Amino acid sequence: MWIIIKNELYSLYRNNALLAISIGFILALLLSILLGMVQAQNHTKSYEQAKNKLRKQWENIEGMNAHGAAHYGTYVFKPYDLLNSLDEGVNSVTGNVLKLEGHVQNEIVYSEASQMQFISKFGKLKSSLLLQYVLPLILIFLAFHSISSEKQSGRLKLLLLQEAKSLTIIWAKTLSVWLYGLALLTFTVSIYSLINLENISLDIGSRLLFFYLSYALFYFIISGLTVFFSAQYKNATVALTSMLGIWIVWTIFLPNIVMSSVEKWHDLPSRNEFQADMKEDRSKGLDGHNPLDERAKDLEAKTLEKYGVNDIADLPINFDGIRMQADEEYGNQVWDKHFGNLNNILAKQKQSYQLAGIFNPFISLKNASMGFAASDNYHHQNFLKQAENYRRRLIKALNDEHAYGGSKTGDWSWEPESDFYKSIPDYTYKPMSFSYSAPNYLIDISLLFIWSVLTSLFMFFGARKMEII
Amino acid sequence: MKSLNILFVEWKHFIRSPFKVIALILYIIASVYGLNNGKNLYEKQTAELAKINEKAKEQILQNKAFYKEENPSPDDRPWVDLSIPDWAIWYTIVYHLKAPSSALVYSIGQTEQYGFYKKVTYMSSPYDSDMTKEIANVERLGNNTLDFSFALIFLMPLILIILLYNLQSMEKEQGFIKLIEVQAGGKSKWLLLRCCFYVILCLAVTIGLILYGSILTNVITKNLSAFIDVILYSFLYLLLWSILYFILLRSGNTIIENALKMAGIWLLATFIIPASVNQWISIEKPANLMTDFIDASRDKKYEIYNQSDSIKMAGLFNLYPEITNSPIINNPEKVNYAIRETTIALVNKLSKEFIKHIETDNNLKNNMIEKSFFFNPISFFQNRFNSICETHYYNYQTYRNEIQTLIDKQIHTLVIDTWNDIKIDKERFDKYHEKFSI
Repeated sequence: MWIIIKNELYSLYRNNALLAISIGFILALLLSILLGMVQAQNHTKSYEQAKNKLRKQWENIEGMNAHGAAHYGTYVFKPYDLLNSLDEGVNSVTGNVLKLEGHVQNEIVYSEASQMQFISKFGKLKSSLLLQYVLPLILIFLAFHSISSEKQSGRLKLLLLQEAKSLTIIWAKTLSVWLYGLALLTFTVSIYSLINLENISLDIGSRLLFFYLSYALFYFIISGLTVFFSAQYKNATVALTSMLGIWIVWTIFLPNIVMSSVEKWHDLPSRNEFQADMKEDRSKGLDGHNPLDERAKDLEAKTLEKYGVNDIADLPINFDGIRMQADEEYGNQVWDKHFGNLNNILAKQKQSYQLAGIFNPFISLKNASMGFAASDNYHHQNFLKQAENYRRRLIKALNDEHAYGGSKTGDWSWEPESDFYKSIPDYTYKPMSFSYSAPNYLIDISLLFIWSVLTSLFMFFGARKMEII
Repeated sequence: MKSLNILFVEWKHFIRSPFKVIALILYIIASVYGLNNGKNLYEKQTAELAKINEKAKEQILQNKAFYKEENPSPDDRPWVDLSIPDWAIWYTIVYHLKAPSSALVYSIGQTEQYGFYKKVTYMSSPYDSDMTKEIANVERLGNNTLDFSFALIFLMPLILIILLYNLQSMEKEQGFIKLIEVQAGGKSKWLLLRCCFYVILCLAVTIGLILYGSILTNVITKNLSAFIDVILYSFLYLLLWSILYFILLRSGNTIIENALKMAGIWLLATFIIPASVNQWISIEKPANLMTDFIDASRDKKYEIYNQSDSIKMAGLFNLYPEITNSPIINNPEKVNYAIRETTIALVNKLSKEFIKHIETDNNLKNNMIEKSFFFNPISFFQNRFNSICETHYYNYQTYRNEIQTLIDKQIHTLVIDTWNDIKIDKERFDKYHEKFSI
């Protein structure tokens, strides 16, 4: 088998058209990696500038009570992950700016896609675009006549007479095309790793490894199936058209159709409906800004009892801060309930979409690629969750300062020491670790693996039924 | 061989090629699915807007009812005095809606990137967080919705490849091209006629699909010009690819060479060029993190509020010279109140200045995209379809401008009525609703 593989690779090397395509592809890959790096640098620079500017504003708050600062709020910006330059995933359609303030949980806004007219349906020139859409096509064009040309030239007969087995020939042809794909994939990942050598941690390394594995499995499926068709049909054109048809259905038709259908099966509420429900639930709780609110009066009674006083003015603390925090905590429960439901729907959608990988390994590849590049919805939701947790800590610190910092109830002019605002740590996004996120993509990797086994079986049975002439 | 005969033979060839027939059927299925996606979104948005209108009507009636009392005020908020302009305007229910065009059925475009309804108050801004997109799966948004324009722009050229790739090259490979040249009186005419057959077939199918789409949302009666434009641009788009493929087929010798070249051109035009332009713009003009706008809505706003009353009053007089002769000008208490309640006009002025910067920045990006159109036809056609179907960035820019106009109207009324010490009654409250609309 190794002799056939060696011979195949040598003939690929001698093919001028392929050499030209390979050089062009490598240049495009290089360009995509380099442009991705420049974009990452630009984004990180503007991200750092914005973050520092907002932090400075927060630390220099003056003339504001703690609750005023909660309304003033702060902003967090979505950071650019190093791996996003390989696969941008959902980043261009999600917002980049999130305001964190008291009483309300805002939505992340100002997505890149909303800041200009339409440019590209398939995103930016990232390595993933070339590796997902272009390289498989090249592999198809390399493999579709690998067996049929041997049949037409009579070499297949000769090989079999020389005691080469048909299965060995099919495997050798598949592996030689696959190795070509692997070489380009290895090139991409290696260049990327070299450029980012000093930033590559064990976590990023593991992600890269699985990123590589997903593509490697997909390329095996594409190479194997194309060689299988080439062995099945006498006419190379039929093999090519069959495989092109599969490519079109897998990469263009099904991902769109499945995604749209999945959203219909697990329907998301409209924003208006969602907000109305949240408002309804929120209205059942305590209104932090309304002293006449019945629940606020109950809380007041409990607080008076706790401190053993009869009048709110006698409290050694500022009851306004306690009321605001109670309001906040109730709001958090409402948020948890509604956003929990929303996340459940999104998780169901994702799961159904992942299961579509049973029919379409491209869907599994796309999921795995985005996931391992930390740019899918799981990672986006994780960013939002961390931001919300930070918001809760921030608002609680402000309300506690208002309540226990030294002011009395009704004293809205009391201001904390300026160091207080500095003492509240800034928001820092902790990227989701590989070990935490990897189980989400187990299904995608498993399906790619199952598809690889299926492809091997196709090749096995195809070899048995292969006509020599 | 007569022209009609060539077309007839091609028809026979087509129906005997199961792969070609299946490809065309797949295109039809995808397009029908896409048209239904467009229709569903149109109906969903229309239903949502109807609900909002209904809710707004109820709220308006509820708020009007407060004026039956001598001191109009909501029961649970006794401190709200609806007889003063500030509270009365706050309690007007003004929604600005972007009703979907019936032509949305053809191109969903950028619709899902933006909000399409907004409650407008004098504290609003066209860049508020509620102007963001509907709740949607971001992976689906990133993956693109399959609409008719997607089927037409991305799938139709692929279908054309499948229909055309073996024309002439198959005859060349099988060695009877010379025979055909003699019989047909020239292979160029023969190839052209064969190509024309498939172009006519695709055009007929596309027009059929457009007609089907028009039935779904009644486009012909509601928006005839959009219907005609969609047909026109579909034809031009089909023509562009047909000419390109015809040139390749004429010079091609083998089936594989043709397939490779055609697929290469398709990949280049649909994936590589738009993605490269996208990447270039993203490097030249990274996503705006809106720090200036944040400044305007926070620190700069606080700065304005912290200014002395005389500075604020001078600013207001400058903006609204008609209040210089206000009847309350000699009443310091009322003047102080008026300044406090109408300082929002100064904030709005500042906000508009920053919004102008954002829009200028976005327009620079748009200009860059437009400059790429001469080598990036896919983006050109997609934007044309979006524009025809009112799902383009500029349609939402217009919508944002309309919101700003409504904010300006509310603020203008707030300033004039506050400085003229107007008492608001039911009649005036009604007039506010009439006034605050476009």
